[in-house]
Amino acid sequence: MLTKKQKRINWVLVIFLLVLSIFFLFPVIWMLANSFKPDAAITADMNSVAAFIPPMPQGNFFENYVTIIKDTSFLRYMGNTLFYAAVMIVLGIVVNGLAGYALAKIPFPFSDKWLLIILMLQIVPTETVITIHFLIIAKAGLLNTVLGYVLPMIVNPFNIYLFRQVFVSLPDDVYEAAQLDFCGPVKYFFTMVLPMSKTVVATVGVFTFLNVWNDYLWPALVFTSGDLLTAQIGLNAITSNENTTMGQTLAVITMITIPVIIIYSLFSKQIVEGVTSTGSKEG
Amino acid sequence: MRKKNSIMGMAFFAPALILLTLFLFLPMLLTFGFSFTDYFALNPELTHFVGLKNYLDCFKDELFVKSFLNTVKFVIIIVPCQCGGAMLMAIAINHAAHCKKYFKVAFFVPVVMSLAVVSTLWMQIYSPEGILNTLLANFGIDAQPFIHSAKQALPSVAIMSVWQGMGYQMLILLGGLQNINPALYEAAEMDHATNWQKFKDITLPEMKPLCVLIFITVTIGAFRMLVQPMVMTGGGPDHSTYTIVYDIYQTGTVNWEMGLASTMAIIFTIFVVVLTIIQNILTKDKEDK
Repeated sequence: MLTKKQKRINWVLVIFLLVLSIFFLFPVIWMLANSFKPDAAITADMNSVAAFIPPMPQGNFFENYVTIIKDTSFLRYMGNTLFYAAVMIVLGIVVNGLAGYALAKIPFPFSDKWLLIILMLQIVPTETVITIHFLIIAKAGLLNTVLGYVLPMIVNPFNIYLFRQVFVSLPDDVYEAAQLDFCGPVKYFFTMVLPMSKTVVATVGVFTFLNVWNDYLWPALVFTSGDLLTAQIGLNAITSNENTTMGQTLAVITMITIPVIIIYSLFSKQIVEGVTSTGSKEG
Repeated sequence: MRKKNSIMGMAFFAPALILLTLFLFLPMLLTFGFSFTDYFALNPELTHFVGLKNYLDCFKDELFVKSFLNTVKFVIIIVPCQCGGAMLMAIAINHAAHCKKYFKVAFFVPVVMSLAVVSTLWMQIYSPEGILNTLLANFGIDAQPFIHSAKQALPSVAIMSVWQGMGYQMLILLGGLQNINPALYEAAEMDHATNWQKFKDITLPEMKPLCVLIFITVTIGAFRMLVQPMVMTGGGPDHSTYTIVYDIYQTGTVNWEMGLASTMAIIFTIFVVVLTIIQNILTKDKEDK
């Protein structure tokens, strides 16, 4: 179908992009390859192509990883973060989902005004209120507690609005039938509404996970020390320790990225749709 | 029935409302209120109303002015590089007939990594005897200090941020390009339009709302710069990578000067809100046409 000229342009383009992608990925390739090497090898390989090639798998291939797992609490920090993410996903879906459903389907006084307020609240950046969050949580004596970390982050105007937009198009007659069945509204919400809206639930869940996993400032403020640290804060604590070698640092940042890569590959469809639809919706 | 319904609605909305009140409305009111006081969180009894003093002080405070200018520098470097780079990449990938999927994934990889991870990684890459200096030496370029000099630290952090974020905008733009109705291009082909004409008269106008969206979100993102300097340079050397949000955080939660920090937060918020409103006006305009 393509003309000869178009074909030639296409190949130039593909080769250009291939070369560009290698340049683009060199930090990541370097990170992966050297996370399996002792520091002496990293320095020795620096000036050759070997800097981008992992060593031959031997007995101590995973030594940096093993040292991190054995000598630091990093696995514990990763576990903490998974737990916080799970709590946040459940509470976030329930609280924001209920609010979105009320705004979509159950008229109550000023519900249209509330919708407008929710829409406007999306503009406010978290940095505006984060020092006050810190003040409130500190005054409530909740610093260094899970509750103090989770509480301010549950409600999310953007997610309320997202749920509302999806719930609004659910059929009304099912709701009426459910009421005749003595199926209470709360039960109806959990057994009918949420299962009927799997896509939005998955989208909110995935983005909540990514937010919790990658968040830095808020956990750094709430968790000042101890066993409750999140992975990102723990990462900083471990890598700023003098005894941590370069290879171990690279192993830590590789490990911390693995769960995110798993989530991205499992939910790539939702994520791409979420990313591109924020574009088309607002645009 | 109706009344019962409306009670049910309020009950469903209540948990969100309570949390919104505690963690959004109340903090917003407090930030606004504190910005006119000298509230010092370690000694709240001594709080006075000081009117607009904080606002005037902010602009006389050398460190705040510096952090403001630094943030502007970040915006000036990041916005054109990231938006332009993402656009070029999206167009190139859209035209490439092979390896499309690989390119999409390859350029998206840095987005997957958290800011703290990317910062830690690039600290190693930028280190004086690091891989980047070794690569540069092969091209006969002397070792550069990168994040260790007041001159190079800000551009170094900015370029790393562009690298990290670009794939996200690329994906949005690529989605937009693929959504353009192919019939438009076919019609142009009938009229023997050149590639440039097709780009200028079809691609650009069709993509305008997305471009505005990306321009504003990247600007706001660069405006919120914090984690990268916090991890990599601690705002240094010589406060050369100190940003507005870094200053808000330091003033409020390290020095406990909530009054001043609130003022800074209000100034910061005004900028973000204005940018968002501009974006809404520009994209609304397009829809009405």
